[in-house]
Order: sequence, then structure tokens, then C-alpha cells
Amino acid sequence: MIELKGVTKTYGKGGNTFTALDNINLTIPDAAVVAVVGKSGSGKSTLMHIMSGLDRPSEGSVTVSGRNLHDLKKKELDQFRAREISFIFQSFFVQGGDSCYDNVSLPLEIAGVPRSKRQQRVEKALESVELTDKTRQKAKNLSGGQKQRLAIARAIAGQPRILFADEPTGNLDSATGAVVEKLLFDYARANKATLVVVTHDQDLAAKCDIQIHVKDGRITEVKQ
Amino acid sequence: MKRLDIIRRAGRNLKQAKVRTLLTALAISVGAFTLTLSLAIGAGTREYFAKFLETNVNPQSLFVVADKKLVGFEGGNTGPKEYDPGAANISGSSYKTLGQSDLDKIAANKNISSVQPNYNLEATYFTYQGNSKKFTGQVGMYDKTIRGEAAAGSLPKLGTMIGADDIVVPESYLKALGIKNAKDAIGKTITVHVVQQAQTKTTEELQALYAQGGLDALTAATQGKSQDVSFKISAVAAKPATALSDNVQLNISDTRAQELADFTTQGTSQHKRYIAAIAMVKDGVKPETVKAELEKTGLTVKTARDLQGILFTVVNVVQGIVAGFGILALLASIFGIINTQYISVLERTGQIGLMKALGMSNRAIGRLFRYEAAWIGFLGAILGALGGIGLGTLLNPWISRKMSLGAGSHLLIFQPLPICLLILALVLVAIVAGWFPSRKAARLDPIEALRTE
Repeated sequence: MIELKGVTKTYGKGGNTFTALDNINLTIPDAAVVAVVGKSGSGKSTLMHIMSGLDRPSEGSVTVSGRNLHDLKKKELDQFRAREISFIFQSFFVQGGDSCYDNVSLPLEIAGVPRSKRQQRVEKALESVELTDKTRQKAKNLSGGQKQRLAIARAIAGQPRILFADEPTGNLDSATGAVVEKLLFDYARANKATLVVVTHDQDLAAKCDIQIHVKDGRITEVKQ
Repeated sequence: MKRLDIIRRAGRNLKQAKVRTLLTALAISVGAFTLTLSLAIGAGTREYFAKFLETNVNPQSLFVVADKKLVGFEGGNTGPKEYDPGAANISGSSYKTLGQSDLDKIAANKNISSVQPNYNLEATYFTYQGNSKKFTGQVGMYDKTIRGEAAAGSLPKLGTMIGADDIVVPESYLKALGIKNAKDAIGKTITVHVVQQAQTKTTEELQALYAQGGLDALTAATQGKSQDVSFKISAVAAKPATALSDNVQLNISDTRAQELADFTTQGTSQHKRYIAAIAMVKDGVKPETVKAELEKTGLTVKTARDLQGILFTVVNVVQGIVAGFGILALLASIFGIINTQYISVLERTGQIGLMKALGMSNRAIGRLFRYEAAWIGFLGAILGALGGIGLGTLLNPWISRKMSLGAGSHLLIFQPLPICLLILALVLVAIVAGWFPSRKAARLDPIEALRTE
């Protein structure tokens, strides 16, 4: 469960402040598939950063899986993200010079998974995104859709409880976008994981269980 | 994240920028190359000098001087000194000399078997039998404590003086003297011409001389005398295989050397005063013990082992200069690493952001970049060391031949341990250089970093 209470995020100091998030109160139950919908600049990305512990709120508290992120030290927060959370980004962020295998292996290495167990998990993740034949190929030789599938494999290899996807289909055509969407939904449903999709795509948002609409740093509507 | 995984990732990251990595490593390899050679020069020359002293210098001999400026490096011209009539002047510097009382003091030590002063010889010129030309050259006393090799004729065994009227000619003199074959010189005569300076006489002495022998006596007494001494060439000294430099003086016996020195210095302040003396310590007695005893009397004494120390100081200076160049090159390459790694951090901002989002700690990120720098340092050090060893091994026979070091002697000796330590040190230097960029990477704001692309 992700629980936000009175979360406010402001940037800048003195008279020149900008409020990115304004008194957000929100509860996302476990295993929910949620869309955070809003235009660019609405604060939806900031909301995702704060929910994942990448950013800290100026005011309010964030509780994820029963832990108040404010109470965690930097090191504990890193470990928490490494074990329980993962990300998909609009621009993939796959490491082009590395092989697909090494890309998927990265989060497992960060989480300290022993070498002996890594291989099986990497292969399983690549299999689930149908990239087994590309295991030893360099990521830069993949197409856009393949790159995003690789990013999904990287995200799910560590079996995270919560998956954040920031505009996962933003750089893809509708056909490949649909494949990526299906992979994300399948993972969340099969593993009872929470999926938070940040998007301005209404069609994608409509496929989620809960839609949270954000505008100017406030939640305007929550549709179940 | 485990250290081994970070090291492996660092290595892979470098492989993705092969040319840049190689160029940065090459900058370090220049320093590594020079430092490898400086290590090899140090090791080689030290071993060479040790071997040289072992075979050439009697370990029981002591080199005694009155002035410690003559040995070691603290001496030299340090400004004007008060005039001392007994002191010797060498290129503007004044040195205390040994007198007969000093020699007696040394000889009085029960552990000394003999004392031999170094005679101060100045020949005006010398002639060679059958050649009308007059030559100038250094005349010195034959050193029986140093092993010599004869190109022709024969030299006495170590510790024995040549015959009183014998002279040993260095091989390098033959050409100038017009001798084609060293064997032809044996038995020929060399005549040394020495001059005694005019004596300073008091007015009374001059008047007495005039009264006795008239103007002729006066002229003879104030004009200075000269003397011709003839020697028979007993041997031509070859340049030994293991020698510091060619022996470039005419070597005469101790008796004649003393006579000539006494004659030329007659009436001067240098009469019967000596710059240095060689004392022989009795067998079975440690030279160091006798040295300590003699130094209590105010003399400066050097043992054969001390001589080795002085030579090693020279080696250290040479080695230091070469190493200095290496360190300069290394210093330049440090900036190369810093620059390369800074660019790398900027290029990989997105990657750093992703790794941080995935829970990689700042410390692990910093470590990743430092290990990349370490890999560059390692690569450069290996390339430089291998280059140095390769070139040195290739050139060693040629250097040995050019410097006449003799078979089996090499100027450059590559020892595995110092080279391994050098490589390790360079890796550490690279890590230090990589510290600045790695700190930048570690401090990067992940949200800011993820916004790029």
C-alpha cells in the first residue's frame, strides 16, 4: 500500500517559490493498477518521484508497504528501492554498449543478488519479454519497441512489489506500445504487484483500475 | 552492490570507449615507461658498481683525508676561506692536507700494515723514446690496491708495487705517442721532465750567495731547477671490462713518485703535504673498526664500502633525475584521467540517474567511476612497463657493448617486484585522479539526471 498524507512539494526559496505538489492525500492499495494522468507540468512526474522515494516531500508523509520513507536513511532508502521498486522510463535508459543480459543483470547486481542466482532470473525475465534470442546482443542494436521490452525485463528481473512506468509508450508507435502495455499489465496481475503508470495518454489510462487526474499540483479526480 | 560486480562493470564501460580509454592510458604509459627505466637503471648500475668494487678494490684499504670536503658532496666552493699556508688549493677551493705527523699517526695504529700518501705530481712534459715531440699528460703513482689488466707486458699482482724505474702507460696514450702495437712499447723509455719553482730568498741569503759564487750562483738559485727522470715501460694498462673509466695517467712507482713530488714542491707550502693517503688494514681486522679509531684523531676516513656508498649516491641522483621526468609525465597524465572521466560522467548522466533510481548507492556510483580510472591506470602502467622492459631488453646488448661493460653486465636490470609495485602505485594514482569525477557522479541528483536525454 502506498499512502500519501498532506504531501506538498515546493521548489525555490523566498518569494520565488513554485509549488509542484499541493497537499496531496492519496492511498493506492496493494496490487492495484493505477494511472496518474495529467498534462506535462501538472506535477505527475514529481508525484511518482516522491512515491518511489527518489525525491522527498517538503511537507507531509509517504508510507510505502508500511514504512514511512521519511524515517529511512539514505542507505536504507537505496536498499528499499533496489529490492521493492522498479522503473520504466519513456526514453528507455538501456545501456547501449552493454549486452541485453548485462542490462537486465544490473538491478540484480545492485540488490546484491549472488552471481549464481542471477543467471536464471535474467534469462527468465528476457524470456517473458521474448528477447531470449537477443541475450548476447548489444542493446543499441535493438529497435525502440525491443529496447522498451528490454527495460521491462530489467524492471521485473528483481521481482519488485511496485513498478513505476513514466510514459512507457510515449516513444513508441501504437502497435509496439500495445505490446509493452500488455507486458506491464501481465506482470502486475500475475505477481500481484502494484503498477503506477504516469501518462497523458487517455486510452492507456482507461485500461487501469484507478485513474488519478492531476492538474497544477492537485488531484482533481480519482476514478475507480 | 558487490565490489567485484562494480569492477567488472567498470571494465565493460571502458571497453565501450576503446579509443578514449587507450589514449588516456597511453598518457600514463609514458610515465610508467620512464619510471620502469629509472628502476632498471638504478638496479643495473648498483649491481654493476657493487661488482666493480668487489673485484677491483681491496676491501682492507682505507682512504684517508684531512678535509672531509674532499669526500662526499657537502664540499665545493662555499666562499672565501682564511688563508692556510699548509692547505692545498684545487679550483679555487681550499682543502686541509695531511702532513708527515698525520701519516705517522695513522701508521702508529696497531691494525694498520702500511700507509701510502698520494703524491702531488706535476710533470711539465714527458717524451717518448724515438719521438722528438714533447707531450703533456697526467703522471701519478701506481695504485696497487686496484686491480689492473695489462694489454701488453705484465702488471704485479694486487697489493704489489711496480719496480722503482718502471712506468705503466694507459692504452689510450698509445695513439698520440705514435705506437701502433702495444707490445712495441714494452721496454721503451719515457722521460718525465719536472720543474722546481724558483726559491724565495731573503736579502741576506741573496747577499751571501753573491758573495760566495757571484752572479752565476745568484741566477742559479733564483731561476728554478728542472730534472729529467727516465722510466722503462713495463706494461700497457688495458681498459678493464669492469671499470668506471679508463685509467688515463702514466703510472710510476711510489719511490719515484715521492722523489718527484718532493722535488717539485721544494720550497713551497705544499712540500711534504698530501691531499690523501691510502692505509692498509691488517687482514682479519674490520676496516670499520680502524676507521672509527682513526676518525677520533680528526681525520676523515672512507672504507671501500663507503666508496660504494658514494657511488650509490651518484646512482641515486641519476635515477632520481630519470624518475623525475617520469613523475612529470605522470602528473600530466593525471589531468588526462580527470578530463576523460569528467567527460564520461557528463555523457552518462542518464545512466547514473537510472542506476540511482534502481537503488545504487552514491558510494557504489563513486566506486564505479574510480574503478574505471583504476582500469585506465592499470592498462597504462602495464603498457608502459612492458614497453620499458621490451626496449631495455632490446637495447641492453648494445649499451653493454658501447660502454664496454663486459660480457654478462647489463646497465638495465628489470626486477619483477619493484615493477609490480610501480604498477600498483600507478593504479592508486589513477584512483586518486578519478576521485574528483567520481565525486561529481556520486553527487548527481537522480531526478535531474533522469530528465536528460
